[in-house]
Amino acid sequence: MNLRQQITQFLTLAYVFSSAFVAWKTLGIVTNSHSPIVVVLSGSMEPAFQRGDILFLWNRDKQQKVGDIVVYEIEGKSIPIVHRVLREHHNSEKQLLLTKGDNNAVDDLSLYAKKQSYLNRKEDLIGTVKGYLPFIGYITILISENIYFKYGLLGLVGLSSVFFE
Amino acid sequence: MFNLVTRVQTAGNQALTASMVVTGFVILLTLLQLAQDNVWGISTTSITNIQPTSSIKRSSQYGSVNRKPKENSKIQFDLDADLTPLFNWNTKQVFVYLTAEYPGKSEGSSNKVTYWDKIIKSKDEAKLHYVNQRSKYSVWDVEKSFRGRNATVRLEWNIQPHVGPLIYGSTETTGNFQFLRNE
Repeated sequence: MNLRQQITQFLTLAYVFSSAFVAWKTLGIVTNSHSPIVVVLSGSMEPAFQRGDILFLWNRDKQQKVGDIVVYEIEGKSIPIVHRVLREHHNSEKQLLLTKGDNNAVDDLSLYAKKQSYLNRKEDLIGTVKGYLPFIGYITILISENIYFKYGLLGLVGLSSVFFE
Repeated sequence: MFNLVTRVQTAGNQALTASMVVTGFVILLTLLQLAQDNVWGISTTSITNIQPTSSIKRSSQYGSVNRKPKENSKIQFDLDADLTPLFNWNTKQVFVYLTAEYPGKSEGSSNKVTYWDKIIKSKDEAKLHYVNQRSKYSVWDVEKSFRGRNATVRLEWNIQPHVGPLIYGSTETTGNFQFLRNE
């Protein structure tokens, strides 16, 4: 294998990664959401969404409707939550939302930050769930939660690059 | 250059393209089917005999801040609805919810709250018949009380498909009630 070939291989790899990155960021701009595709991590919306399902988000609605399934982030908690809007109160400037998981017994008040009694549409939401693909996201859960799978996969990738040049 | 990696890559790409085309077809057919079944025009629903009750709460679980009194509202209602048209081959579940909409204080402000909801998993459960059904939630407003405002009640639904977009709608019938004056 000569240098030229190696550089070509490196460039191809760089091309794959950068185009994936550009596609992701473009989707982010189109949907106005910093995380336009999310994987469900908890069972609080079962049976609608199970762990590993993929959700497509849209964040250009001016207002949410009651019944919308939204993804929100609470300050100081890193994991985004996918729950349904139970109540909405709005005036011309601002909209307040109370959410609840379909599979939970009570609303999300205990999940919000201290002293916070509503979500603020503008500040807290990452997006509204518009579309749905089952199960495919499970691979990311396996990668992030199962070390054997993670290193097994890394090992496979490494081996394949050694053997199939 | 027909080594294993390129073969896997080509097969993977083809599988991806094929599944995207199939998904597209599924979504299109689902929407066509729903339009044909006229799911956005279900008019046989009745929401009657709505009786509001009210109580004053001082717990933060019921919307009270710093133990200040907060009016909570519940209702009882009679409901008849046939949601079987919402079930077809791409319906995983239907989430059905009873909402009340009422005006706010200022111009352009409005509120909508859920009193009752239900997850329907199969066509057999899609005929709803309730008499004197109690609301599931104790509802409070952003204001201290509901001030005897008028509310419009609707039965709304959300279809969760096996694959594709979430679909929303409401039945055509509405009900009305006035919150108790509790000041």
